Amino acid sequence: MNSANSVSITAANSTTANATEQIALEIDKLNLFYGEKQVLRDISMSIPKGQVTAFIGPSGCGKSTLLRCINRMNDLVDDCRVEGKINLYGDNIYHRHVDVAALRRRVGMVFQTPNPFPKSIYENVIYGLRITGEKNRRVLDQVVEKSLRSAALWDEVKDRLHESALGLSGGQQQRLVIARAIAIEPEILLLDEPTSALDPISTLTIEELINDLKKQFTVVIVTHNMQQAARVSDQTAFMYMGDLIEYSDTNTLFTTPVKKQTEDYITGRYG
Amino acid sequence: MDNANIGRHISGQFNHDLENVINQAMHMGGLVEKQLSDALKSISQADRELAQQVLQNDYQINKLDVSIDDECTRIIAKRQPAAGDLRLIMAIVKTVADLERIGDEVERIAQVTLESLSGPQRDLLLSVDDLGHEVLALLQSTLNAFTRMDVKAALKAHKTDEKIDQSYEILMRQLMTHMTENPSSVPQLMTVIWAARALERIGDRCQNICEYIIYFVKGKVVRHTSAEDIKKLI
Repeated sequence: MNSANSVSITAANSTTANATEQIALEIDKLNLFYGEKQVLRDISMSIPKGQVTAFIGPSGCGKSTLLRCINRMNDLVDDCRVEGKINLYGDNIYHRHVDVAALRRRVGMVFQTPNPFPKSIYENVIYGLRITGEKNRRVLDQVVEKSLRSAALWDEVKDRLHESALGLSGGQQQRLVIARAIAIEPEILLLDEPTSALDPISTLTIEELINDLKKQFTVVIVTHNMQQAARVSDQTAFMYMGDLIEYSDTNTLFTTPVKKQTEDYITGRYG
Repeated sequence: MDNANIGRHISGQFNHDLENVINQAMHMGGLVEKQLSDALKSISQADRELAQQVLQNDYQINKLDVSIDDECTRIIAKRQPAAGDLRLIMAIVKTVADLERIGDEVERIAQVTLESLSGPQRDLLLSVDDLGHEVLALLQSTLNAFTRMDVKAALKAHKTDEKIDQSYEILMRQLMTHMTENPSSVPQLMTVIWAARALERIGDRCQNICEYIIYFVKGKVVRHTSAEDIKKLI
């Protein structure tokens, strides 16, 4: 396996991840096991604030598992054991006193397939706020408009906010889910293959949205689509069989990757 | 193209497309080399027919320039090449542009044969011929380096251009002296000056191609960089 193991990799070449850049997430020697099987090996990396970081790699390389570690979704998996640390602005999210529900309010997540609730568009957006007990109609209205505008959906749904979310197209549903995720103003937004179920035009709309979202949030995205990673991300991490092989600024990784494994993967060669 | 690893893509069609475009670029390089060789031969043997043939054959180079560019555009649109593949396509596109310009320079050289030069002026052509053969050798080693994508050979060829620049300076001084002493020869000798200038420019274009080879293999942009700095960079 490649010598990327146990090497603390930051996006050193990035034009944006410089010394003055604030680090949102610091992953430190993270190992993850499902039972006896080790799925992530000694992952260390820094994810800068206000930027888009992409995880790429073949199926089974551990990229989605790593993403799910960031809001502790893996806690729901039986036999899953995590070693190492993930610091969110300096706080270790794997500390035993961490309130996982509170963590997930700071770290929102959007999945591969749009999963709106069978409720109105309006109720979908404010779902998180309802749980926290917010009842003030004026606040809720404001949040709905702000979130839907941020998710580039407001103009398309403003006249039918109280209709079922299930009547929206796939691309609109995914943007609605993003609006729902950002309504509670998380610090980090995790996107797990957010466009894999969408057509090319909806995909471009979401990509444009991601570009806007990084002004307010730190975005971490898992994608199978390498061109998408090249288009939307500032940093890209290439993973292979549980190892972080190469992590650098996206421009460098897609033109002059350092590791042969990265080159073979992004140019579609036999490994 | 041993270093290009073309045949290892999962897509056989992509392998085929890349191989095709590389072969076309090498074929174009061979044509340009033959054109330069013929142009020089036409001067040394005062073969006007051969010179005419060189002028007529340039269209083949121009045709290849267009078809290789088209093929590279298609590959970019259909395959979105990355990393080494992207650098290869960029290197080919730029190399082909330089080869096409070398073809144009060769036309200027062939024009000398068609000029009616008198005895003493013809002696100056020996110096042009010497410079021409230095440039031809540089073009051959550059094309060999391109065929093998050999950085070491490219570096060596890159350095050779300095010597060509020196030979060009000497030739220009000779021409200036001759023109000062025989002002009536200036109109005829202008063609010789253009030919000398064309040879010097071919040297520069060979240098460019060497830089594209280094860019493809090493991923480092070494254009507008001194020889010492290039060595440090790679």
